[in-house]
Amino acid sequence: MLLPRFSYHQPASVAEALEVLGQHGDQAAIIAGGTDLLVNMKHGKLAPRHLVGLEGIDGLEEIGADNGSLVVGPRLTASALAASGELSGAAQALALGAASLGSPQVRNRATVGGNVCTARPAADMCVPLLVLGAKALLAGPDGPRELPLDEFFLGPGQTAKKPGELLTGLSLPRPAEGSGAGYEKLGLRKALEIALVNVAAAIWLEPDGKTIKQAKVALGAVAPVPMLSPGAEAALTGQTAGEEAFAQAAEAAATDAKPISDHRGSAQYRREVVQVLTRRALGQAWQAALGQ
Amino acid sequence: MDKMRIVLTVNGQDHELLAAPNRTLAQTLREDLELTGTKQGCEVGDCGSCTVLMDGEPVNSCLVLAVQASGKAITTIEGVAEGNQLHPVQDAMVEHGAVQCGFCTPGMVLSAVSLLDKVPDPGDGEIRQALSGNLCRCTGYQKIVEAVQDAASKMERS
Amino acid sequence: MGGDYTVVGSRARRLDGPEKVTGKAVYLDDMQFKGMLHGAILQSPHAHARIKSIDTSAAEALPGVKAVLTAGNVPDTKYGVSPARYDENILAIDRVRYVGDEVAAVAAVDLETAHQALELIKVEYEPLPFVLDIDQATAEGAPQLHQEYLGNLTAEVHQEFGEVARGFAESDLIRTDTFVNKRQDGGFIEPPRSVAVHDLSGNLTLYSSTQVPHYVQRTIAMLTGLSVGKVRVVKPYVGGGFGPKASASPCDILSSLLSMKTGRPVKIAMSREQVFLHCRARHQFKHVMKTGYTKDGIIKALEHTCYLEGGAYSSFGIATVYYAGSLLAAPYRLPHMKYDGYRVYTNKPACGAQRGHGGVAARACFEQQMDLVAEELGMDPIELRLKNIMETGDVSCNDLSMSSLGMKECLEAVQGGSDWNAKKGKLPPGKGIGMAAGFFVSGAGYPIYRSETFHCTVTIKVQEDGGTVLVKTAAAEIGQGSDTTMAMIAAEAIGIPLEAVRLVSGDTDYGIDLGAYSSRTTLMTGHATREAGEQVKEMILTALAGELGVERERLDIKDGVVEIKGEAVDFGPLRTKYLKEHRGWGGMPSGDKLTFTEAARMAYLKLGTIVGTGKYKPPVLGGKFKGAAVGTSPAYGCSAQVAEVTVDLETGQVTVDNITDAHDCGQAINLTSVEAQMEGSVSMGLGEAMFEEVKFDDQGRVLNPSLGEYHIPTVLDMPRMRCIVVESGEPNGPFGAKEVGEGAIMPTIPAILNAVHDATGVTITELPITPERVLMALKQKKRDE
Repeated sequence: MLLPRFSYHQPASVAEALEVLGQHGDQAAIIAGGTDLLVNMKHGKLAPRHLVGLEGIDGLEEIGADNGSLVVGPRLTASALAASGELSGAAQALALGAASLGSPQVRNRATVGGNVCTARPAADMCVPLLVLGAKALLAGPDGPRELPLDEFFLGPGQTAKKPGELLTGLSLPRPAEGSGAGYEKLGLRKALEIALVNVAAAIWLEPDGKTIKQAKVALGAVAPVPMLSPGAEAALTGQTAGEEAFAQAAEAAATDAKPISDHRGSAQYRREVVQVLTRRALGQAWQAALGQ
Repeated sequence: MDKMRIVLTVNGQDHELLAAPNRTLAQTLREDLELTGTKQGCEVGDCGSCTVLMDGEPVNSCLVLAVQASGKAITTIEGVAEGNQLHPVQDAMVEHGAVQCGFCTPGMVLSAVSLLDKVPDPGDGEIRQALSGNLCRCTGYQKIVEAVQDAASKMERS
Repeated sequence: MGGDYTVVGSRARRLDGPEKVTGKAVYLDDMQFKGMLHGAILQSPHAHARIKSIDTSAAEALPGVKAVLTAGNVPDTKYGVSPARYDENILAIDRVRYVGDEVAAVAAVDLETAHQALELIKVEYEPLPFVLDIDQATAEGAPQLHQEYLGNLTAEVHQEFGEVARGFAESDLIRTDTFVNKRQDGGFIEPPRSVAVHDLSGNLTLYSSTQVPHYVQRTIAMLTGLSVGKVRVVKPYVGGGFGPKASASPCDILSSLLSMKTGRPVKIAMSREQVFLHCRARHQFKHVMKTGYTKDGIIKALEHTCYLEGGAYSSFGIATVYYAGSLLAAPYRLPHMKYDGYRVYTNKPACGAQRGHGGVAARACFEQQMDLVAEELGMDPIELRLKNIMETGDVSCNDLSMSSLGMKECLEAVQGGSDWNAKKGKLPPGKGIGMAAGFFVSGAGYPIYRSETFHCTVTIKVQEDGGTVLVKTAAAEIGQGSDTTMAMIAAEAIGIPLEAVRLVSGDTDYGIDLGAYSSRTTLMTGHATREAGEQVKEMILTALAGELGVERERLDIKDGVVEIKGEAVDFGPLRTKYLKEHRGWGGMPSGDKLTFTEAARMAYLKLGTIVGTGKYKPPVLGGKFKGAAVGTSPAYGCSAQVAEVTVDLETGQVTVDNITDAHDCGQAINLTSVEAQMEGSVSMGLGEAMFEEVKFDDQGRVLNPSLGEYHIPTVLDMPRMRCIVVESGEPNGPFGAKEVGEGAIMPTIPAILNAVHDATGVTITELPITPERVLMALKQKKRDE
């Protein structure tokens, strides 16, 4: 299989990258790990005339701190995130999702920025990022802007990022004491698998260690985009953590889910599984929040 | 589509090449450097037969552009044995009958070598995780896992 | 039982091991040819359409394009696998019958140009109505795929053995069950690839990643018009086959024609997507089985109907539909059996043969039903099977002769090996244990075309200096280990260590060999190798007897050393002669035994080059009825497996935790390779049971043509396997050996299904066992209770 022809650009700074992107408009595509883009190009689904590689730009491959937030560099690979010591507490959700993506070879190349910009409904890193309230940090010709991720995803493969813009980071709240995360994925195989349903959960406990201060549940593969479950959040906030609350939240998540039937699974089954996985992910998150 | 000057360090040797941007690392290794031990089974990152190590980490060379690999240290299957002296992983693969058609074998060996470089005494679960991106249709994997375990214990002892 | 062997039965390191682990092994894609062109194939985007016109002028005009082929400039000879159903054209004539049907081919200076040329070929199609499943294809007024085979039937089979009505009259319990598997893909990691080289002498050499150089040679000769002797097929290392590579591929045929047209080497390689479009892998089978048992659990009768969804062409389909019936006649005593089979054309890629040809889904249905019968009778499944199994010497109702059958030993081995008695019926909810048995041929009794040909010939030449022998066989090493097996058999037959054997294989210039299919190589090529080896040994020992002046009977060779029975013989002059020839050399023979090397050198000096030849074809096998040939074999391997599973009762997800597998291979030649075949069979069976399904949209396009979306097991999906090798000693096999490569897949699917039933109480009658299918069955069961 051959890749179509293109020119390759290696800007040395974000400003240079924006300049190249501006020059070529929708003829340009940004490449990081290439695990998705190159596959689509080999299949003839995409044929950008210009690829803009980000490897020459410093600072896109680290986790930085900014006031109360963590800024995750978009070129961090799934492997790096899965092994990162900085993603503790609720932020562990991202590490868990990253660890379950594809295969070791894919994780060594696939980046969080690519996973977010590719915007697949089952994306292993997007679903966790939603429960963390992550914001996309975008640089563009009109200056930088921030966009909450739930507004960033518009549809399968579609985002609010404009052609001339570059994702420069993902901002998350700093890991808090008494928080924890869970991630559950159901697929046929145990590796090299896209989720039939995946669920991320994060819980922030009150100092009493029992009351849920805040909790979020995000669902994958049950809507055109990775989605938050507002029903689950409402069912959990202020409640005592435990099976009862989780079961109610799971029911709410199943109600919120908007699955369709396709060759991989029926809507009915996906909805059933959302409920099971939500309950399990919350249980996992709770245990993590308790430090167990 | 201008060709670009790249430097690949392959199995410890530097190669200065002119690469078209749409050449993958796999193509460059196989066709330009004639290192045909790297196999291509799917060309889209699903099977792992084109696995090489890039700065020590396994990657699917079918999904890495040659230009992206410039400046990196690449290990291919040809760089694993020392002359005719097989690497312990290779020797164990032969000894345990972990090789059948052999098409996945180079990638499998590299994933295993990379694991043992980092984790000298891996458990069954760690070995299986490390090999989970390398599809094999012949063996059912059991003899491969046994071979990696055996290689690990022999390397520990030596 | 295990004889007194030196090499046979050991755990040899494979001859190809070092080359394969170092990346030095050469596969098709690794070969270089000067001036090589790259070919590409234009395939139909429609499931069924009339070709109104093809315009190749723009493609031909593209710089770098060297040849363009369409039906207009290639022979219109029909071909296929079985001469009774040659229904394929080299390139589509007037009509395409599935998405992927080959329409045109180009050869160009590079692949990029070849693909550009394909885009420039203008084909005008008139879409036709199409059929995608058995119901559509067999409906009244359905669009027809082939005018020669109306009703969209490739073949139908109607057989009755014994008196089924009587059998049911004698039955106390009669069950009817259905079962459906899914179209499988071969999943070999190396896609088919070929390079054809037509030279100035008019010879064509085709390098192909095939399982069957011989059949490819014949097909290419037939289609090109070249005499068979001018077509040479060479198989480099091949990255797996499993059945779908057991006939000439479009790569083989079109690269040959393009090379003949351009006078240059032409390579054609399938992409992974094209592998799915070409298919030739396992059919989808729908089985209905009505079986009668007595209240004591004795099987009395089977009435069986099977529909095979076959795709647009026959491929192996006729054999498949026969196998789907005939392979139920054993390994249990079944006095009365009726079978009606239908192989149906659809507008999808053609299905063919895959590991366990025709018998895998049938076996799953039968073994699953057997467990349900056991449950109804309140009998342990192993006990029920033990009551019915055939034994050595038994002949089935359809004339399959069990010259050795260690079925009982296999059942007892997995019973003990899995700790069955402590687990069966005693596991907590969500945990289950299940078992099944099965058997398979050790090589098809007859070739694919009607012929009295030998199935294989082998030559062994003793190197003139005496130390080593060279085995030449056309057998196809495709990963199963046949090279090493043949070298071991040669070593044993001659009486020399394995290290003294060199071997070349996989080339039609080396002789006849029908190839790697129907688990034939160990038994058949093994026979020929043994015969060639024994001939070599006889020639050497006869010459030696004359030289030493002793009776031939007193001499033997073992482990590279000549053994002389009776009183000592002075071989001093012989040794002196040998040493003189090698003055100054190290490592010369010494000690009080004459070596094989010295004896062989002496024989050469007397006789000239020593060459032994071996050949094999099975005796006349089977009955006289129509289709009697399919299922015949000189020997049958058998196996039993126990699967242990965990079922997630909330999601329906099944995890296979353990497999205990026993297989009767007659006599292991290379014990490690026997286990390797058993383990590989389990993994392919587990994949089919749990994950694998080629899916189509409503236009007949494959939805999942990739190894990402078509799921073969990863290392994380495979359980620990415990393999127990049973050796019954096959009288018709070389050193007692018979098959292992396919029989071992037979019990896997039903063992898992029966374990899922044990864990949950639900019976899954449609593969794969997806979480959704299990959960929905669990819900249905709850509603029913």
